[in-house]
Amino acid sequence: MTLMHHKILGLVTALYLAIFFLHILYFAIKKEVLVRSIWIFLYITLALHTGGIIFRWVDSYRVGMGHAPLSNFYESLIFFSWCITFMLVLMKKRLSYPVITLFASLISLIWIGYASISPGVDKNIQPLIPALQSNWLHIHVITCFISYAAFVVSFICGLLYFFNMAWTGSPSRSTLEEINYKSVMVGFPMLTAGILTGAVWAHYAWGSYWSWDPKETWSLITWIIYALFLHARFVKGWRGKKIAIISIIGFFSVIFTYFGVNFILSGLHSYAT
Amino acid sequence: MSVIKNNRGEPLPAKEKSLKNIILGFFGSVRLAVAVLTFIALVSILGTIIKQNAPPDEYLSLYSQTSLKIISLFGLDDVFHAPWFIGAIVLFVINLLVCTYNRFFSYFRAEKKVRLPEEKALMSLHMCFKLNLEREKDAIAIIKKRFRRILYQGEDGVVLERAPYAKYGVLLIHGSIFIILIGSLIGLLWGYKGFIVLHRGEVKDMMVVRGRAPKEIPLGFALKCRDFNVSFYPNGAPRDYVSRLEVIEKDRVILEKDVRVNSPLSHKGMHIYQSSYGASPTFVFRVDGEPVSLREQDSHEDDGFIMIAMRFEKAIHDFGPGVQVAFLDNGEPRTTWFLRDIPRMRQRDLGGKKVVLEDIKEDLWTGLEVSYDPGIPFVWTGFGLMMLGLYINFFVVPGKIFLRRLPDSIIVAGVGSRHIDRFGEIFEKIKGNLYDTDAS
Repeated sequence: MTLMHHKILGLVTALYLAIFFLHILYFAIKKEVLVRSIWIFLYITLALHTGGIIFRWVDSYRVGMGHAPLSNFYESLIFFSWCITFMLVLMKKRLSYPVITLFASLISLIWIGYASISPGVDKNIQPLIPALQSNWLHIHVITCFISYAAFVVSFICGLLYFFNMAWTGSPSRSTLEEINYKSVMVGFPMLTAGILTGAVWAHYAWGSYWSWDPKETWSLITWIIYALFLHARFVKGWRGKKIAIISIIGFFSVIFTYFGVNFILSGLHSYAT
Repeated sequence: MSVIKNNRGEPLPAKEKSLKNIILGFFGSVRLAVAVLTFIALVSILGTIIKQNAPPDEYLSLYSQTSLKIISLFGLDDVFHAPWFIGAIVLFVINLLVCTYNRFFSYFRAEKKVRLPEEKALMSLHMCFKLNLEREKDAIAIIKKRFRRILYQGEDGVVLERAPYAKYGVLLIHGSIFIILIGSLIGLLWGYKGFIVLHRGEVKDMMVVRGRAPKEIPLGFALKCRDFNVSFYPNGAPRDYVSRLEVIEKDRVILEKDVRVNSPLSHKGMHIYQSSYGASPTFVFRVDGEPVSLREQDSHEDDGFIMIAMRFEKAIHDFGPGVQVAFLDNGEPRTTWFLRDIPRMRQRDLGGKKVVLEDIKEDLWTGLEVSYDPGIPFVWTGFGLMMLGLYINFFVVPGKIFLRRLPDSIIVAGVGSRHIDRFGEIFEKIKGNLYDTDAS
């Protein structure tokens, strides 16, 4: 059964690919008009991506399951990539550098591409198991993935810090640092909100607000890493390479919290695979 | 530019380097915080990689002899309750408290009398502009909308401040961690967890507490399962399981609730959760014509005759469900099987009594998790304060504006203590407002 949202999300995947090639073209011929068209494409993609998510929601009612598309691995990948693009558009003033939009939209492309191509990812709308039937699902998943998206931006800045990309119109190192800590300042409170809403939810669903489940533990590890980032920067006054390294380590922790725990470790969060 | 103020910048006078200060310095240092947090993060990784709290045979099959020795030596099979892990958390709490103590007092020490800087000092500030003398009233009115607190007012000018509470954001975040940990400690000390299995219609007032030696403890009230239902999606996944429960005190029903996953019942600080369900058989016998219903492991005694329903099998070869019954034959213990669907195997003579297996019914039971945690209010308060603290720390923009009267004009200058760029935007807006009205 091909549903409307599958077609839209297919188109969105193609658009992310187009955005990737627009970046390549920009780096080749360096025409400012291309930067403007990249942003127009980003806006259109975000709108369609939002539409795709809404249509999946509507379609879920049509197949008689009726729940927000935030409940399995496929849906989380789609939402993760949406959050990254949303973050780009939200922070356009700060993030308007082709090299940043390149990496951010490339990561979006990887997530959504993996979701639609990998045979291991079930694309069907699945019924909501009793443990997930709660309003906490929405706020928990949304806060977590917004924080992940902010940490993606932080990671990109950390990574770019180590390369001399002046020829691409890359921001200066001090600008990269500035964007890096700005995104951690969004990501950290959001991650905290995600962990705390998760804990409250766990209290109502599992009878315990903290049970050292691998996902919980890894989110705490991630939280500690970014807490160290903030203290290193603001109390110890660390700058430059050291901060960039922490943001890269933090991102690996995010990735492990998201993928690794599902694939390698088993636990209470196993429905997200 | 700093979100968290730097306390190390103020060296202590030599004579204050007493033992107390050295200890406070060590336990309150960021270095210690970084070391302890890194340690906690690293060993937490071990706690997710190594199987936790599994039965011993599982470890034997998973790990080699040597690694098993290391695991049991350091308690790596239960990292999060190992003494050294608890020790690290205690050290972290001490660090947090000393750090907070140091910071808190530095706030009061820093709360000096506010003075209005001289013209030269103000003009050297990054954010400043000049206005005509007659614009003073407008300026103060516009600034006051965003800088509500008057710190100083005099002949020479005014000092206004916005969000003076912003400096307590960090304190709130750190304090909330402490409150959450206190809450979890209360839960560890005085809380407990247990479970109850109820068949439809069954009433119980005891729960089983898990542990090395499981024991039954009173619940404080009686719980009756009036009904239990499971529903499934077309693909076979469970859709919903619901126990209709009644809380009974002194023979009166005082509370009734449909308990489902995500919707527990709360009574007297106890939370009762829907956790599992299953089916267990009831064996309907007739012993010399008298009906006798037994569950697995139940026994029936009558005038020296004794029989126990030992074991249930859903399918014995192809002969359908059956139950193994133990009985005494002239003082000798013996066992035999009853099969429901084979007429020949439904009737037997046990120690001189005629026993017939009439039916095997499958009864649904509901598994309820019970938890009592008096630390919850602390934990929830901590969560709330942490979110408030994060909001104040990352999204509230504090700062001061100085307005100095000069003979021919006024100087307006701004100083932000953090989020300088956003403070700058606010300052620019005020400046814009004043120039806009100037032009009109």
